[in-house]
Amino acid sequence: MDEALEREKKEEFDASEVEYVSYGGEHHLPLIMNLVDQELSEPYSIFTYRYFVYLWPQLSFLAFHKGKCVGTVVCKMGDHRNSTFRGYIAMLVVIKPYRGRGIATELVTRSIQVMMESGCEEVTLEAEVTNKGALALYGRLGFIRAKRLFHYYLNGVDAFRLKLLFPQPGLHPSLPMMADRDDAQEHDDDC
Amino acid sequence: MDRHALHQPSSSSSSIPATANTVWTDASPLLEVACKDLRDGELIHVDNFNLYAAMSALEIMDPKMDSGIVNRYCSVDEAIEDGVAPVPISTDKTTDVQCMIDIMDHLLTCEATWHKGHSLAQTVFSCAYLLRPERTSSHALLHSYCKVIRATCKAVITVVSDARTHEEEDLFTMAYGLPLSGDGDEKCLSLLNAVEENISRQLRACKAPSSKRKPLEDIEPLQTNFDLEEGYCKALLCRLRFRKHFFHVLTCMRRPQGRGLELARKHIASCISELGVILKSAEFLMSNAHGTCEDATEDRTTASGHQAIGFDASLNSRISAPTPPRSIKILSWKKAIEYFEKLLHDLDIICSYPLDPSLEVLLRFVAQFQKAQPDLVARAHLQLLLVQDGKLYGKCPMFSLIIRAARLPEVFLHHDIQKNEYVVQLGQLVINMLKILCTNAAWQRRKLGKILQDWRVIYVQIELAFRKDFGEGSSISNGDNASARILKHILIWVDEQTYWISHRFLILGFELELYSPSEYCMVYWYLYVVLIRLAEKTHLKMTVSDGSAKQKGKKRKDSPKELARDAKIPPAISFLQCQICLAEGLTVLLAALRNELMVLQSPSPFNSEHERFIQHFELLQKACIPDNISYPSFKESTSYARFSTLAMYNYFKDAQKIAKEARSGFSNDPDRLAELRVLEQVAEHNSIALNVICGVGALDPSLKVSFEFIHHPCFATVVVKRS
Repeated sequence: MDEALEREKKEEFDASEVEYVSYGGEHHLPLIMNLVDQELSEPYSIFTYRYFVYLWPQLSFLAFHKGKCVGTVVCKMGDHRNSTFRGYIAMLVVIKPYRGRGIATELVTRSIQVMMESGCEEVTLEAEVTNKGALALYGRLGFIRAKRLFHYYLNGVDAFRLKLLFPQPGLHPSLPMMADRDDAQEHDDDC
Repeated sequence: MDRHALHQPSSSSSSIPATANTVWTDASPLLEVACKDLRDGELIHVDNFNLYAAMSALEIMDPKMDSGIVNRYCSVDEAIEDGVAPVPISTDKTTDVQCMIDIMDHLLTCEATWHKGHSLAQTVFSCAYLLRPERTSSHALLHSYCKVIRATCKAVITVVSDARTHEEEDLFTMAYGLPLSGDGDEKCLSLLNAVEENISRQLRACKAPSSKRKPLEDIEPLQTNFDLEEGYCKALLCRLRFRKHFFHVLTCMRRPQGRGLELARKHIASCISELGVILKSAEFLMSNAHGTCEDATEDRTTASGHQAIGFDASLNSRISAPTPPRSIKILSWKKAIEYFEKLLHDLDIICSYPLDPSLEVLLRFVAQFQKAQPDLVARAHLQLLLVQDGKLYGKCPMFSLIIRAARLPEVFLHHDIQKNEYVVQLGQLVINMLKILCTNAAWQRRKLGKILQDWRVIYVQIELAFRKDFGEGSSISNGDNASARILKHILIWVDEQTYWISHRFLILGFELELYSPSEYCMVYWYLYVVLIRLAEKTHLKMTVSDGSAKQKGKKRKDSPKELARDAKIPPAISFLQCQICLAEGLTVLLAALRNELMVLQSPSPFNSEHERFIQHFELLQKACIPDNISYPSFKESTSYARFSTLAMYNYFKDAQKIAKEARSGFSNDPDRLAELRVLEQVAEHNSIALNVICGVGALDPSLKVSFEFIHHPCFATVVVKRS
């Protein structure tokens, strides 16, 4: 109980004291896993983490305050249905005492920046419909709520699929109608 | 990526098929060498090791991931041996009855939790008594109740899987490894009736005055405490009767062509009244609960507040692979009863639908039904009623539905053009649309967005066929070619229907909370554009069909009376006009707020409003709904909006006036009359709000304007406050 209260307590710090680093190797993995396990509802195996950080280390960032890891973002990018090069934000966590100070925005902005520079046409993610903080954060970054996913999470809560479309030079490309491949997380019909 | 390069010998490219001459060798040493190559933390990455594979990987002995991990018991049998589910539940007859009622109640909460989206294995079948059907046979009450529960689950699964339109609710029908069909479960009702009859006699016996009790003395009482006999008999009877009637409801509703609907309604009424009795029994059960009540709170899953015996959610964890189940929260007993009351109410609405042959009436009915957000089981029943064997209600061919929708006379019901491949395809599209309209709002909106394309394509195909067969110059006015006339009418209707779907697609976005306030302006603008087209198409359909009818009657068109009637706007159009005014008013107001007060704008670092417009309306734009509409047209029509123009022309006043006038046209349609009233309310409210904004000072910085859905789900009420 005391521990929980301790965790709830707001930390006093200066924003300039927070240091952002790109994923730097296996020594960062336990830090990321620890944060995500603490804060997110879904359990992930170590393979899931490695899948992301080994394949797209440039898209994962960690935030440190006085040597302590206080936030992280984990992402991927790739062809979606062989038609769209798409970035995907898999996990974004900032521990409670450090929230509300723009750390999450900074982390996710860095990832999105890299995605844009790498040629992504859009970025997507899912967020619980009840997660007002996350929805506001992504709204400010230009994400729209593209669709609602009924009972998406194992806890029975609906999710929004949020999407950010980057400005396209000229008209947007014609999209092939057929799709033969789908990603695992996206048990949606079309995402 | 290179670090995870394939640790495979190149010879493993597997295009060489195994034959009789293939020599098999042990690959273990090779694998061992390969493993030594790997350092701690390294990952072999092959192309098919995708996110799915990563997420399906297990960490053995991690309780969150390893479904094989030993919980309390290794097996159901081990749990039973340990006394988890004794038969009889207690050797004391009173306790046995009390426990039996707890089991019934907890099963009801499990069933509701299952319907609400959790797995059967973790809810209803967390009951060890259900898992070993043969074990309960010596306990008639328990045995009959378990049988009817299994049979009911099976019936509900059948309904949902027959209606299956999507995988989102897959979890519902997943029953692998569960004994859904016990021996003789199909005869569950006869056993249930016998048990019910016996308890009724016990009830009669205990209620009889002591002088008359003699002839009934051969009846063994339900339990040993005479003072409690009546209460327990009644508590059991309402529970048994609820199960019986509920099972009847399910079977009646599945009769072909809606033949059992009337009878189903009677059983629904009985179910609802038994639920009331069940609810009332709580007082008696709580005051006489055996032992101490562990959980007498609102969260309790039984009427008595006592925990039910024989349940363990971990019993099925092994058959729940691939993902081990998360622990779930079972609904409370009160919430479960509320759920069933709502389900029965929704089913009653379905049963009371008169199976109207008109698509227009049907679509309004389905939309109205969906407003109450019915759950999966009710929606599945509706879908199966609407579409059976590829026909409406299992009896009305799709072609006849189309003929009526296109306002063609019934003489064409058997016209040969129904064999035309595009007309057949169109019938399929209608079936598909009806099924989609029965799904949950989230899925429904996505699918409606997708089928717009199909509706556009079929329009073009029919139009091409029409041109090919009847030439460019062919006109309906010569009227002698029936096929041409049918196709022409169908085309107009397809166009209208496409706009109807688009309209529903847009308004569902409000219900699903997909739009944020900074996007309202473009959404109302698009809604306005779509509504105008919908009104045009509807009007065209009416005019053309009226024109054809008149022509047939060879009436003179120029009689003054006729003209006066023509000038009168049909109620359906007024209804749309009222919404057009509201949508336009909101668009202009939002635009003025943005242009003059610089609010409701959301600059973002990575994109602009243009991209958000493309994303929100992509599916409509792809289907050219409407033609020549794009972001620049939106900007063009909103960038000059000012409060001064709004002050001069109050769209909300128009909406209010139209709503008032249109009322008389819907005196026989309470649903639309009610909606019209709500529209009028919004119009009136917004008209006043607009006056306040324009009057007191649009540029007063203390004025805060917000948009709330307090009256209508999609037309916002403008709320003005001073901060």
